[in-house]
Amino acid sequence: MTLLPWKRRAHDNGPQTHGFADLGLPLLPSLYNVAFWLTRNAADAEDLVQETFLKALRGFDSFETGSNFKAWIFRILRNTYLTSRAGLAARRTVALEELEESALYPEAAIDRETPEMNLIRMSDRAMLQAAMEKLPPPLMEVILLCDVEEMKYREIATVLEVPIGTVMSRINRARAALRSALESGQRAREWGA
Amino acid sequence: MSDHLSPSQLNALADGELPAEQLAAVNEHLSVCPSCTSSALHQSLLKSATAKAGQRYTPPLQLQERMARLVTAGAGELQKKAANPSPSRWRFASLGWATAALLALVFAATTMLQRHRMALQEQAAMATEVFDQHIATLAGSQPPEVVSSDRHTVKPWFQGKIPFSFNLPENLPQGMTLDGANLTYLDNQPVAQLLYSIGKHRVSVFVRRKQDGSGRTASGGLRAGFQVIPFRTRDLAMVAVSDVDPARLGELVSAIQKAQGP
Repeated sequence: MTLLPWKRRAHDNGPQTHGFADLGLPLLPSLYNVAFWLTRNAADAEDLVQETFLKALRGFDSFETGSNFKAWIFRILRNTYLTSRAGLAARRTVALEELEESALYPEAAIDRETPEMNLIRMSDRAMLQAAMEKLPPPLMEVILLCDVEEMKYREIATVLEVPIGTVMSRINRARAALRSALESGQRAREWGA
Repeated sequence: MSDHLSPSQLNALADGELPAEQLAAVNEHLSVCPSCTSSALHQSLLKSATAKAGQRYTPPLQLQERMARLVTAGAGELQKKAANPSPSRWRFASLGWATAALLALVFAATTMLQRHRMALQEQAAMATEVFDQHIATLAGSQPPEVVSSDRHTVKPWFQGKIPFSFNLPENLPQGMTLDGANLTYLDNQPVAQLLYSIGKHRVSVFVRRKQDGSGRTASGGLRAGFQVIPFRTRDLAMVAVSDVDPARLGELVSAIQKAQGP
């Protein structure tokens, strides 16, 4: 067993049966969506996606047919983002946020309010998007991969290069942060009404 | 199970990640606990609402077309490598040596053109990356990670941070000073960003280990009023960026290059 299954050379397992175009192009909307959330602007998102495709094409020889292409290319996207100007800037602030986020968003912050009230809040897409925008990058990326991209914890752990326990902990904190932001938004709206 | 479900269990339930043995116990608890049932419903609603809200941005048409062209050009080459050679080889042989030679020539020329175009794109991308980092340094209010004009302070600061070493010139040309340095990243590699001043002009010199043919180099030239000068020594690849007079920047480049020895 290897931690990086795609690191095994493709030619060890026979020729590639799917071309890069078949595997990569259908993921373009997902990659762009995540890139835009991370970089927060269209031009940087386009650059990030293009750079990801270039790197993926260059490294496609080392991708093992039958292994998880989606996790592989998302990992390239994330690593490219982390070394970009925006990613470096975000990373410089992450250390502090990592220290503080557990205090800000305690895992036990599950509220016990009525589902009806929650449903009303969550139907407000703009409010939820605003709440997502406020998430620190490590929490935003985990929630995008889990909820939007519907990746399993194991796949997310591969993309983020962290243990599964860390993925679970970040998901807990991300959802607690979203709930907290939705509650604040709802209260502000009620006071403004 | 008598206690309420933990946040981790509720999340794992919403994400379909609970192991079978835990799932049975959780379901049993939910059947008798309205509070946890409400929380579990809440988690599911939040997950589906986040999934919808998160699908927010659609790639512009021109990006889709550009990526399709890029992928088709790149993938064509890969497919040629991967294709089963036996049937095509049979036909290939029947065409005769002259056709084979012609095809090989065309293929080689196309491949060279593609590689050249890709190399140019990569060089431009690297120049952009270098340029962006220099601008970000100018725009940032933070001081360099190591602030010193002493080369014996700046060079040792990188020990253990980068997998290579370099020399700094003992005597800089007139009017040039070393301001400090940062550790940064280019093309997934740790890089030393040396910060100099030439008069009031700031200069960044990015130093990294030379790759075995696979590393990207930045294209030189003028970019938005800033001069980008790539240069190499035996083991290092460097790029200098500044808006100072190119001749003055060239003097600094020569001094740094000379300091690396023969």
